[in-house]
Amino acid sequence: MSLRRKILIYGCGWLLLISALHAYLNVNWAAVLNDYRPPAKRKITVAYIPVTCQLTCPVTDYISKLSDSGEIFLPRLFQGFPEIKEALISNRIQAAFIVAPLAIALRAQGVPIKVVYLGHRYGSAVVVKKNGPVKTFADMRGRTVAIPTRFSDERLLIFRAMKAYGIKKNELKMVEMAPPDVAGALAAGAIDGFSMGEPFPSQAELGGYGRILFQAREYWPDYMSCILVVQQSLIDKRPDVVQELVDGIARSGLWLDKGKPEREDAADFVGRFYYNQKPALLRFALTKPIDRVMYTPLAPRKADFDLVRDLMIETGVLDKKIEFEDYTDTRFSDGAKSQTAWRYEAGMGTAR
Amino acid sequence: MNSLAEPRKWERFVWPVLASALFLLLWHYSVVWSKTKVFPAPLAVEKGLAELARKGVLWAYMGDSLRRVALGFGAAAVIGIPFGLTLGWYPAVNQVVNPVMQMLRPISPIAWIPVAILLFGVGNVTAVFLIFLAAFFPIVVACISGVANVPAIYRRAGRNFGLTAPQLLARVVFPAALPQILVGLRISLGIAWLVMVAAEMIAVDSGLGYLVIDARNSGKRYDLVVAAMLMIGIIGLLLDLCFRRLGNIKSVRWGFRDES
Repeated sequence: MSLRRKILIYGCGWLLLISALHAYLNVNWAAVLNDYRPPAKRKITVAYIPVTCQLTCPVTDYISKLSDSGEIFLPRLFQGFPEIKEALISNRIQAAFIVAPLAIALRAQGVPIKVVYLGHRYGSAVVVKKNGPVKTFADMRGRTVAIPTRFSDERLLIFRAMKAYGIKKNELKMVEMAPPDVAGALAAGAIDGFSMGEPFPSQAELGGYGRILFQAREYWPDYMSCILVVQQSLIDKRPDVVQELVDGIARSGLWLDKGKPEREDAADFVGRFYYNQKPALLRFALTKPIDRVMYTPLAPRKADFDLVRDLMIETGVLDKKIEFEDYTDTRFSDGAKSQTAWRYEAGMGTAR
Repeated sequence: MNSLAEPRKWERFVWPVLASALFLLLWHYSVVWSKTKVFPAPLAVEKGLAELARKGVLWAYMGDSLRRVALGFGAAAVIGIPFGLTLGWYPAVNQVVNPVMQMLRPISPIAWIPVAILLFGVGNVTAVFLIFLAAFFPIVVACISGVANVPAIYRRAGRNFGLTAPQLLARVVFPAALPQILVGLRISLGIAWLVMVAAEMIAVDSGLGYLVIDARNSGKRYDLVVAAMLMIGIIGLLLDLCFRRLGNIKSVRWGFRDES
């Protein structure tokens, strides 16, 4: 065999091998096939990050796949809010779970999205080092605390606590960090505390280096953080798809709030198939106690959003007053009112 | 104009300006024609820059970035040049150290981020350390090969004049290797400037790299992102120009054979 021929054969073999590996390991075939469907039948892509505030997204996906009507949407895992924001602005995803202030800010900056539903209530906490110098929130003066983004309820929560303790804006330093990084940063001593959604407070608690200073509801009775937004174009063109999505999320919320067995089941399949987190961690976050995070009621309420908006203006991340009706569409939550929980139990194999 | 023709004075100035203007026009019309709502046009970026300057962060951030690069690059030069000269002077030592160094060299400073944070925490020192790492190895390698390439006849001549080893290193070998060392310094300054951006994205809350991340985090403010990118490019260009000027000084220039 001549050298040229040898090189050609080896080259082709190599190309074939990496192509096959790429197709097997990297390509999301569901998403690729989806692009070839006619537009009216195409599934929408819903972005989420691995926090329990957005647990209804993977739960809906998992259970709906077992139901007769099949999957409602294609979930896409992200690791932080900036990436989701970019995908939303460039119209690469049709719906996403993001923090409420980010949705309000993006709407105020002219991004055509609408809030249609909430992701959860409660479930965020401020965590400090275990056996560290911080005993009460008053000790946080002059320290550094991590928040997911400047447009987050977790940041506003800190401001509410600061107000209660008379701590001024420049007395506390806030740094923005991707949620999956905070537990490590706290353990390494890079930050003094963090304000995040579950399961990261639980992770720090279980890891033995973190202590929950307070739960969100102590300073914010009707706390909510992650909400579901969809593109305005989707609402205009395919309202039925949005309704189906909201119905699915609503049914998952009701299912999750049925009791401990459902929570434990969800922790198991979400941890293994979606979040790539230990099921034990999610089980802890979802059941100890069970009302750490709640998934009902999830219809957007004007009073909650006005509170968020006013706090945003007060803390300097929003420069104009934007009305509830301008950034929410309550049609779909109204339409989902009569929904009931999924009829699904672990191991049943089918759902209705 | 063929490649050998000496460009006239006005040409040296006019063509680059014209090319930049064309680039800006192309950019402007690409934004207009593609009707993108995300990517900003040059004018929007200019407004973003003005906003940053008005807020006073632009100059402060530029100063911070330059200071960090100066510290990291300076430390790399101060430690790297003597280290590299020594290794070049004693090939036996070089053979011992070389394998470890060649293994450390291809590790991107970005990969050092987690370790750097563990060692130095989140702050200025981490950023400076990463910049130092980026600049250190190219300098050392340039010094080693610079010394190795000094013709043996220079050394012998030096010895004949009765110079001791340190004198020989300082008065013969170092000047002879200087042109090559300068090239190494210039390359590593470029790398240091590249790594500065990444280091400032994770470790600190000021500087041009931080400006990119900060603008990204503030919603739909891509005008500020591009403004920061532009500033990074312009300052990088200026740094390189300054360094090239340094290479034109007569006492340094002699090592290049193309001019007498």
